[in-house]
Amino acid sequence: MNNRFVINYTPGPTFLHKLTGFTKVALFMVMTAAIISTFDIRILIPLLLINVAEVISMKPNYKPITIMFLITFVTVTLIGNIMLFVVSPAAGLNNVGAEHILWQSGRFYLSKEFLWYIFVVFVKRTASFASVMAFALATTPSEFASGLNKCGFPYKVCTIVSLAYRTIPDIANDFINIRNSMMMRGLELTGKKVSLWKKLKNTVILLVPMIFTAFGKVGNIANAMDLRGYGKNKKRTWYAEHDASKGDRIIRILTVVLLLLTIYYVVMYRFINPWPAKFWCPWLQPDEIQHINVFDTLFFMKWFKK
Amino acid sequence: MKEPIIEFKDFSFRYKTQKNPTLHDINLKIYPGEKILILGASGSGKSTLCNCINGLIPFSFEGEIKGSCIVNNTETKKSSIFKLSNTVGTVLQDSDAQFVGLTVAEDVAFVMENDVMPRSDMLPFIDKNLNMVGMREFVDHVPFQLSGGQKQKVAIAGVFGNHVQVLIFDEPLASLDPQMGMTAVALIDDLCRSEEKTVIVIEHRLEDMLYRSVDRIILMGEGTIQADVTPDELLKSDLLKTYGIREPLYLTAMKYAGCDLDSVKNLSDLNSLELSGENTAKLKNFFTEEREPVIEEKHEPVLRFEHVSFNYDGGRNVLEDINLEIYKGERVAIIGKNGAGKSTAAKLICGTIRPTEGKIYLNGTDESGMTIKEIGENVGYVMQDPNTMIVKDIIKDEVGLALTLRKKPQEYIDEKVNKALETCGLYKMRNWPVDSVSYGQKKRVTVAAMMALEPDILILDEPTAGQDYKSYTDIMNFVNTLNKEYGKTILFITHDMHLAIENTDRAIVFADGKMIRSDKVFTVLSDEETIRKAHLKQTSLYTLAVRLGIDPEMAIRHFIEYERTVKTHE
Repeated sequence: MNNRFVINYTPGPTFLHKLTGFTKVALFMVMTAAIISTFDIRILIPLLLINVAEVISMKPNYKPITIMFLITFVTVTLIGNIMLFVVSPAAGLNNVGAEHILWQSGRFYLSKEFLWYIFVVFVKRTASFASVMAFALATTPSEFASGLNKCGFPYKVCTIVSLAYRTIPDIANDFINIRNSMMMRGLELTGKKVSLWKKLKNTVILLVPMIFTAFGKVGNIANAMDLRGYGKNKKRTWYAEHDASKGDRIIRILTVVLLLLTIYYVVMYRFINPWPAKFWCPWLQPDEIQHINVFDTLFFMKWFKK
Repeated sequence: MKEPIIEFKDFSFRYKTQKNPTLHDINLKIYPGEKILILGASGSGKSTLCNCINGLIPFSFEGEIKGSCIVNNTETKKSSIFKLSNTVGTVLQDSDAQFVGLTVAEDVAFVMENDVMPRSDMLPFIDKNLNMVGMREFVDHVPFQLSGGQKQKVAIAGVFGNHVQVLIFDEPLASLDPQMGMTAVALIDDLCRSEEKTVIVIEHRLEDMLYRSVDRIILMGEGTIQADVTPDELLKSDLLKTYGIREPLYLTAMKYAGCDLDSVKNLSDLNSLELSGENTAKLKNFFTEEREPVIEEKHEPVLRFEHVSFNYDGGRNVLEDINLEIYKGERVAIIGKNGAGKSTAAKLICGTIRPTEGKIYLNGTDESGMTIKEIGENVGYVMQDPNTMIVKDIIKDEVGLALTLRKKPQEYIDEKVNKALETCGLYKMRNWPVDSVSYGQKKRVTVAAMMALEPDILILDEPTAGQDYKSYTDIMNFVNTLNKEYGKTILFITHDMHLAIENTDRAIVFADGKMIRSDKVFTVLSDEETIRKAHLKQTSLYTLAVRLGIDPEMAIRHFIEYERTVKTHE
């Protein structure tokens, strides 16, 4: 079952796996904040490298990660960028602040800054993907729950997280059984002759027994939890939250440093001494940058003008 | 005399949503250290009684309480479910739902976590509790790696987290194979004796519970206590029959043989019960007397496995080199412990998975060329839980679904559906909503839904799981009618030895992915090696035969033959 959904139920053997849930959750939150805070490639590249290094250090099974990356990520980025090129070729001008046109044909054109823009966005998304992967690989659902709780979230919210992961494989199993029995009765869910729409429609039929069995389970789980004192006190402790090791202390200090750096960066380069455009670009000087109202460049805005 | 730890006085309880009380006139005292079996058919109120002790009533299920229920010197309705959980530990029937942690250790720690115990204090308790149930090596396992029996052991360790004095087991044997069930009964007994806990077990499988001695049996029926007796007294009375409880097989045999039961000492314990000379002679006579053997006709095979192996994505073989034939009109029990390959074999027959090697022939045709839908017209697969199969609101629509999906003309559908409904005794209910019928009737609906396609083979996955003796008998009678009158071939996937003895002609035994035996039920059940490998259990007939010095195989065979003549005359 391990690694089939990139979820680990038991902690792995590497350094990052052995950290406590709190350390992992805190690092992940700060890392996410850092990636969100900037479009500056000089910061995004190191963040990306750190996260990729984290993933590699855990010696994961690369197959599901690669599949996820290729399918959900590269495809979406590719389609998104083509759409962007068609709809708003001025994205480079809007975000980077200048335009050096490389190619033009009628209304469509490609600028150096447009390419820079999609490159930076790609790096930023890849960095967040790597950070999510690193977190998902390192953390068991229970550590996630206990870490969240320690970060100040109410424990009832946190248990929902771990309970969800507890039941996902069971529900998947139920689903397969129900699907098989319905297929024997003649419901068409696979096969080349069946249209995608029909497959979707038929899958909806399966939801009825799915929901009923799930409801039955919920009742039982709730009773089991009540009987073992869940909700008795305002707080609870977590078996999954083991004692902090030396590694934890190092990572926690680094997390705090990263947090301070992020705050410093935001204050310094967003408010006190901001770069004139959203994106920093190596070949542009601050005085070359034009300020554009984003709305003016959208192709449909011309109909609203005058 | 010690003070009772649990005391009911003129107690009654009515669920908020119901008109009449589910429990009434309950007067009961349970003393510390006692081991009590609460016996009763479904709906007799036995689970409700226990929920009154652990506090689910009235704190999770609302309703009206009259009279008093005192647990550990506290009136339950003035207490809380949390306070009661410090005294009473409950192991629920569904040990899978009870498993809330993501690893074994976490699940055992759950109570302590809720008590805000520091992690360092939990560790010795977890260790001790897991050791007690023999699960210490599994401390890091996830629930998906554990068998039903192992999950139950974890559940027991989990309710021990705080120092409970009373342990309640709600149908602990429901989802266990026979051998695991035996281990569970022994474990429960050990806990009661060595840890000095008061143990209350709710079960309707009397014979399995009597594997270890029980102090008192409380027989529930119609919402109240019908008898509060020792096991011996209960077995000598005819209360079991009245309240729909299956009597132990050896007792049935003794009754068939015409033994005088009143004089027998230790009747509830087969190993120490005293057999007088007269009774011994009667039994020996019964077990050895030649009767007309059941005539067997060999029909053509409807299903054939030829060197079938199966594995998931090139992993270890789940099934290996299976060769078997199933003949038309046969009733076959497919038995073996969990994970032995029974369900995989069933899935292969249904075509939802396909053999990695080898061929399966259905009525002489190679299944590899057939779609699941085509196979579905010849094989009907009835899942264990009817709720996982039902998708329509009205019984008639549910039964006709397979035909509707095949776009048959409406008159044709009506004709087949009516026929299937009549066969299954549901014709009168055809326009009822599915939700309004009982569990056993829902089961019939799912069988009827299969029958509408008129398959040759019906596969029933644990048809009797979670049902009491009465609905068990109903379902089996019904299935036997399908077999006898409509010539359907029936495959049972089951743990239930009673079912195999009473209702099948042949047993196919799986162990570790191989078919280790395919023979007459009485031969299989008297072969010690097969029993051990397949996690079965010797029936009490076997033990009785050994005590009498008779060949067990012959004894079981004679018993089956006699029983079938009795049944046909009824």
